[in-house]
Amino acid sequence: MQYFGKKTVTLIMTLFLVSVAAFLAFQIIPGDVVGSILGTEATPEREAKLREELGFNDPPVVRYMNWITGVLRGDLGKSWRYSKSMNEMMPVAELIGDKLPVTLWLAVLSVLLIVIVSVPLGVFWAKSRGRAADAVFSVLTQTAMAVPSFFLGILVTYLFGMVLRWFTPGGYVSYQDNFVGFLGYLIFPALSVAVPKIAMTARFLRNSLLTEMSSDYVRTARSKGATEQRVMYGHVLRNALMPVVTFLGMIIAEIVAGSIVVEQVFGLPGVGRLLISSISTRDLPVVEILVLYITAVVIVVYFLVDIVYRMIDPRISHK
Amino acid sequence: MEDRVGMFPKNENPMIQIQNLSVCFGGTEAVKNVDLEIARGEILGVVGESGSGKSVTALTVMGLLSESGRITSGRVIFDKDVLIESGERLNRALYRRYQGQRMSMVFQEPMTSLNPTRRVGAQVEEMLMLHTELPRQQWREKVLESFVSVGLRDVEQLYNCYPHQLSGGMRQRVMIAMAVILHPDLIVADEPTTALDVTVQNQIIALLREINQKEHNAMLFITHDLNLARRLCHRIAVMKDGRVVETQSAKDIFENPREEYTRSLIQAVPTRVRCKARPGESATGTGSAVSGEIRRPVLEVHDLNVYYQEGTNSLFGRRKRRRVVSGADFVLYPGEVMGLVGESGCGKSSLSKAILGMNRNVEGEIRHFSTRPQMIFQDPYSSLNPSRTVGWLLQEPLRAAGRLDKSRQMSEADMRAAACDMLRRVGLDESCMNRKPSQLSGGQRQRISIGQALITRPGFVIADEPVSALDVTLQAQIMELMQRLQEELGVAYLFISHDINVVYRMSDRIMVMKDGEIVEQGDTEELFAHPREAYTKLLLQEDLE
Amino acid sequence: MTQDESRTKVYRLKGLKQRGNPYLWIGLFMTGTAVLMALVGFFWTPCSTTAMSAAERFCAPSPGHPFGTDNFGRDILSRVMKGAGSTIFISSLVVFFSGGLGIVIGALTGYFGGLLDEIVMRFTDAVNGFPSILLALVMISILGSGKKNLILSLGIVFTPSFVRIVRSEFIRLRDADYISRARLMGVGRLRILFVHILPNIFSTFWVSVMIGFNNGILAESGMSYLGIGVRPPDASLGEMLSDAQGYLLRAPWYALAPGLTIVWIVLGFSLLGEGIRQSSGEASDGR
Repeated sequence: MQYFGKKTVTLIMTLFLVSVAAFLAFQIIPGDVVGSILGTEATPEREAKLREELGFNDPPVVRYMNWITGVLRGDLGKSWRYSKSMNEMMPVAELIGDKLPVTLWLAVLSVLLIVIVSVPLGVFWAKSRGRAADAVFSVLTQTAMAVPSFFLGILVTYLFGMVLRWFTPGGYVSYQDNFVGFLGYLIFPALSVAVPKIAMTARFLRNSLLTEMSSDYVRTARSKGATEQRVMYGHVLRNALMPVVTFLGMIIAEIVAGSIVVEQVFGLPGVGRLLISSISTRDLPVVEILVLYITAVVIVVYFLVDIVYRMIDPRISHK
Repeated sequence: MEDRVGMFPKNENPMIQIQNLSVCFGGTEAVKNVDLEIARGEILGVVGESGSGKSVTALTVMGLLSESGRITSGRVIFDKDVLIESGERLNRALYRRYQGQRMSMVFQEPMTSLNPTRRVGAQVEEMLMLHTELPRQQWREKVLESFVSVGLRDVEQLYNCYPHQLSGGMRQRVMIAMAVILHPDLIVADEPTTALDVTVQNQIIALLREINQKEHNAMLFITHDLNLARRLCHRIAVMKDGRVVETQSAKDIFENPREEYTRSLIQAVPTRVRCKARPGESATGTGSAVSGEIRRPVLEVHDLNVYYQEGTNSLFGRRKRRRVVSGADFVLYPGEVMGLVGESGCGKSSLSKAILGMNRNVEGEIRHFSTRPQMIFQDPYSSLNPSRTVGWLLQEPLRAAGRLDKSRQMSEADMRAAACDMLRRVGLDESCMNRKPSQLSGGQRQRISIGQALITRPGFVIADEPVSALDVTLQAQIMELMQRLQEELGVAYLFISHDINVVYRMSDRIMVMKDGEIVEQGDTEELFAHPREAYTKLLLQEDLE
Repeated sequence: MTQDESRTKVYRLKGLKQRGNPYLWIGLFMTGTAVLMALVGFFWTPCSTTAMSAAERFCAPSPGHPFGTDNFGRDILSRVMKGAGSTIFISSLVVFFSGGLGIVIGALTGYFGGLLDEIVMRFTDAVNGFPSILLALVMISILGSGKKNLILSLGIVFTPSFVRIVRSEFIRLRDADYISRARLMGVGRLRILFVHILPNIFSTFWVSVMIGFNNGILAESGMSYLGIGVRPPDASLGEMLSDAQGYLLRAPWYALAPGLTIVWIVLGFSLLGEGIRQSSGEASDGR
């Protein structure tokens, strides 16, 4: 429990540092951007007014405090590019609100797919050691790991959308209208994100299983007269899955990154697409908030994985 | 012990018979035409060096041969049932009816032989689950009984422990409890004490003997240690290169070894008999300073405490300072061999690291009177840089010395000559010069390590378990080499080992270390003849039985 | 002793050796052809990469245009050659930059430890935790897009992973017996770092270079696909894919050519990495 406390403190400190880094990167380094926001409408008076409005005249520390307390209270700042009405800039919170669930569900679905497919695959692969299936799996996973998710997305679109017509490319169903239809559409982008990671995870699990299989306690179990089934499911699998938990935590960041790109392929209105378009238009407040969000999610997932690992591994939990 | 040494009555109906067994891995025969049999109530020791095929034999008997192994001839008969017949596939389903229930095994590594993520109680229970009809409620009680029978205490608590929470000796007892819980007819023990400290080793041997007497089962005891086999076994079979060289009663094999190899094994065993007068005695006299002249020491250690920083370098964890050596105080003279003996974790290595300045977290006084003392490590595989050739490795100390002290700079040719000379001195020929360590055997590597340590002619070398990773015959050769080089070069050794016999053979004086303290030090003969401390007596106990 | 057991392992390894190291050879072949194609593409392509032809729009693969033509009637093979060239060029620079920096920082922090190590590790930990493509995107959004900024941001993003690998190898080896002995001999620090330790981490390092190449190629093509990397009229595989997506039904070969090229290159490098790992694993100390 002492460990839990320490980890929580570290978590909070990391989140703080990330927010400082984001603040520095997006609000200090770019310098005075008032001119670029206003573009052709820039006049000295309007610039001065906007500078005052955005709080650019305050010292950095005050600006950070204002910004971070705002973020914590739900005031995420205002977009420079999107406007709500003629003279009002779009609040970032409104811009993001309905896009977050799309990305979240995409990531969750991908993780589920990875876990559901890779575990049996890894076990089967480990069992088929030395047989033809072993080599086949090896080639398949090596290839799958080499396919970038956006190309995979295009292949999935072509195969399932155009040839088999299982879904309509570009025919996104909003989760607010029809949740089941939404998930049905989402399964294809999720597949594009998941396949390379399934290959990676199955490979990792297979290697982990083979390592465990060659350890001494397996010989002990066999010397007791345990069947191979019992050796696998009673002894080896559990131990081999423990490092897989950490591995899954480690690839969370990549799953999120994959989601960002794949949203573009399937035309999903998630935060990934917003991020890309905001980067193209240098809409820094939006980029800033999105980066902060995504990073925070990844850090919290790391934290949770670490805690879970500590709980399931008796070598650590029973010190 | 004497009564056990006598010939065990020949049984007409042996528990297990191994007839003409040969086992192949790839194209190489690991076991060749082995014939062995063990009667009910008998302990058969199989002794051999690494690669002699003794473990493969044990695993084959247990039906645990890995898939790459193939039985090319012979059969294994267990109580009239033929379990293995050459030419037939290993029948694992058949074997599972015997494994655990009628034959069980104790392995060498208690640290890794238990599943690290399951409670030890559950792991022993698995035996009952697999082989008995006993109702689940009675399992726990039965397991606790077996724990008690192998001398474990606090069994209720122990039942719920994970293996890493137990000491090596306790884990091995759990393994033995698992092996005997179903009262099998045959117990195979593969080096069950090798990974344990001497004192624990003695307890486990006593336990095995007690089990054998009580249960009257057959036991196959695999070991590399001839002395150990003599203490426990009724009969001993010596194996070499996959063959059984000779089989005799434990007593006869020592008194009348029939084969040359057996004789060399017996001689290689470090016993209390000193093979020859060591150079230290004739040249410089022992530490008792009979000569009367005042000699300048090579090393003085006074009131030395060594500490070890615990805790990670995290931002929060406050570092704990743990004392690993306390109050070490001794003097080492030129050309002298000081033995340092103690069990694992007693602080031997910490002391040596402190002396050489590899750990500066010390209090007290260390005074060197020789330049650049060197060290020889235990593991021949990690003490040579794998990416360099032997020639480069032998010359590197000279290059380093030349860079530090211009007067010691040597030409390329001189360095090469020096390396050649050292190579010859350590018993290797020049063809090794261009080889990498990976192309050498363990013994050869250790020779290079010794050469590398001595090539700059240091006055003092620490040898930390230099022979512990080697086979007995190699051990003897390396010790002989170290003695010879000491004679030729007049170097002083601090010779560290857990094996009191090895230390005895090498040293002029001996220090006994326990829990970070030097509990006793003195002249070798004196200390062996009249140990003062209880702990020293305990270490010597194995022969006093 | 367990030597009997380890013996069986040796036999198994020998069996592997007899079958050769297919990973290494196939990997070499795949990367070799890709690099060759890219190199040739710098100086010569079968057709012009910019010449458009309304008559030759969406030609299916044919002897004249082995990979077909695109929506402007440009030859896809030629554009793939150019695109592969720029992808490989960019990721080479990225790996060179981050690998070199990684060795120096990793060696110093790993061997000496201390406060600097602590700071560097906190930093690399943080960076490693981020999705790398996200971080590169962020840097691009601050620095502005363009080839130079792309190389710079990917280089910075990939450095920590090299630092980590090199550092952990140095930590592993700095307490190795043979390094302790070198210290006792009085060998200087820099000589220990770069003459005694460095050669022993090369196999690990080369494997990580191959992984770095992979990630570099994936990140570059991904960002170009998103329109944030290499910009037209420069050919790039990612940008081609993004164009091709609009004509998927009409000209599926347009998407397949650059896509499969990426897969080919990445697979080649990962097989090469695996091959290096296996061959060095077999060679190492033969215990």
